[in-house]
Amino acid sequence: MESIVFGIGITALAGALATVAGAAENTESDIGSQGDPNSQVQLAPQMGYIHRIFNKAIAGEPPAYGLWVALGAGLAWAFMAMQINPILAIVLGSALAVFVQGVYATTAYLGRIASLSKFGQPVFIDVLKSMTTVTMAHAFVAIFTTVTICHLINAALGHPFPLPLLGLVWGIALGAAGSATGNPFYGKERQYQTQKFGAGVPIAASGNIVRYAEAGERNSLDNGWFSAKLGGPASGLCFGLIVFLELWRTVIFEKIGAGWGAIVVGIIIILVFTVIDRYIEVWARKNYGPYGEPAKEGS
Amino acid sequence: MTVKVEVVEGGIPHNTIMAAGLVASVIFIYLTYANVLTGTQLFSFFGGLAAVAAITWGSHTIKHLCSYGIGTGVPSAGMMAFGSGVIAMLFATKFGVASPIVAVVLAAIIGAVLGFLSNNVLNMRIPVMIQSLTEMAIIGALVLMGFAAMISGSFEFNPLTAGSVTILGLSLPSYQASFIGSSLIAVAFMLGGIAVQHPFNACLGPNWTQDRMLTLAQECGFLSMITAAVMSMVFLSFSAALVSVIVALVGWYYTYTKYIELSKRDAAAWLDAKPIPELEGH
Repeated sequence: MESIVFGIGITALAGALATVAGAAENTESDIGSQGDPNSQVQLAPQMGYIHRIFNKAIAGEPPAYGLWVALGAGLAWAFMAMQINPILAIVLGSALAVFVQGVYATTAYLGRIASLSKFGQPVFIDVLKSMTTVTMAHAFVAIFTTVTICHLINAALGHPFPLPLLGLVWGIALGAAGSATGNPFYGKERQYQTQKFGAGVPIAASGNIVRYAEAGERNSLDNGWFSAKLGGPASGLCFGLIVFLELWRTVIFEKIGAGWGAIVVGIIIILVFTVIDRYIEVWARKNYGPYGEPAKEGS
Repeated sequence: MTVKVEVVEGGIPHNTIMAAGLVASVIFIYLTYANVLTGTQLFSFFGGLAAVAAITWGSHTIKHLCSYGIGTGVPSAGMMAFGSGVIAMLFATKFGVASPIVAVVLAAIIGAVLGFLSNNVLNMRIPVMIQSLTEMAIIGALVLMGFAAMISGSFEFNPLTAGSVTILGLSLPSYQASFIGSSLIAVAFMLGGIAVQHPFNACLGPNWTQDRMLTLAQECGFLSMITAAVMSMVFLSFSAALVSVIVALVGWYYTYTKYIELSKRDAAAWLDAKPIPELEGH
């Protein structure tokens, strides 16, 4: 009984850390225009819309965060193997991983913009200087919390995977959660505030992203401010629920049926969420946007 | 039907880069064998240089492959390379001194099979697919073997799986404290996978230039090498790890500043805190 209470406590702590991680990850990637919104930022100069948006295309978010978190976890593992206290080891590992992330961000921006010189898109050094540091700060929060989750899973819950492998798995999960949940707030909403809500992006509007702000020219910090309000918390909720439910079902039901209990509960959770998602989708289509009728079932 | 949208104009031909990358990478991995011959660990940093050579070659292979518009993200090519390369690398480590050569041969076979499946079974029909996937698998295997040699000082199976933990002054053998047992190989996988796809992913566009992309590839390699050198402190003596860190830092600083200069050369303008310039007709 006591071990289950302890396990639930760790589960709750990991879920809370994951919520912070998801929010930080999504804000970081939106400031850097990473993930699917990147295509429009990349396209804009080619359509004649020169902008001051940070274009940090490193990879999709899942592989990029797979690297940052695996690297942070690997370095933390190495420091712990050198008899350094775990908290300090995780901080040092995350800091070095963030250094790598920052260097990748600068080279990605310079490379993408220099390759667009045909269209007259200049490199803005102030964009590079002011935004790389902000993405690094958010990335540090995301990496530190996720590596801490991995350490808790490994050290407190006794997961058999070593820390770097857990870092790879949960890093990819973090990137996928932020990419799937948070990006629409930036890519579908913030970039196209001039278009009718719910209209999609017609071909004629491709690349015509919002480039001017309430005062002056919009930069990616404005986008970070916007997506931190809704996209970040939504991603945080998503990743927090993933981590919490995953650990919860393992801690509570693993003893039943030699592990099969946890698997069955996992399948039930997926089915419950499928029903909830479908209901929300139909409800949203009925109430918002220019859709007259909800699409046929099963589409 | 795929259409080739870009060609490599001028610059170093792909076959030259391929030959140079392959030869340099294998030689650098073999230079880490000087550790065994001299009984020190000071030559481990050559493993990192092997990875840099293979990553540079890999970035150009991805450019070569993706110029056909394969309809997928560039990063997937990097993951593909390491997914096929890790099998060859792990199997090859059982062959002792011959490991790097076995890794190259085995990776070539795995890559060719994957290329054949993509082209003839999945009907992708991209002319350079079989050659590129063969190259990518070899690159993946060589980068992983290079990082393995750099972090643990050896490219053979037993040293890669045997570590030791010190508890209260007693040294106990532990599988979990080894390069493979601790899954540092997963970190090496991602370090290489992102580093090999990033140069082309970052430099793609109408004004792509070969020297800028290859410099960025070297920069990514040295950057990965810095972190690998820090991780090698667990397995190697402090002096050996320090040599690795210094080599990596010097290489990284040189290639990073060179890359910024090349970006400055290629950029339309280099502005600091200036508004969006007005273009004619907009």
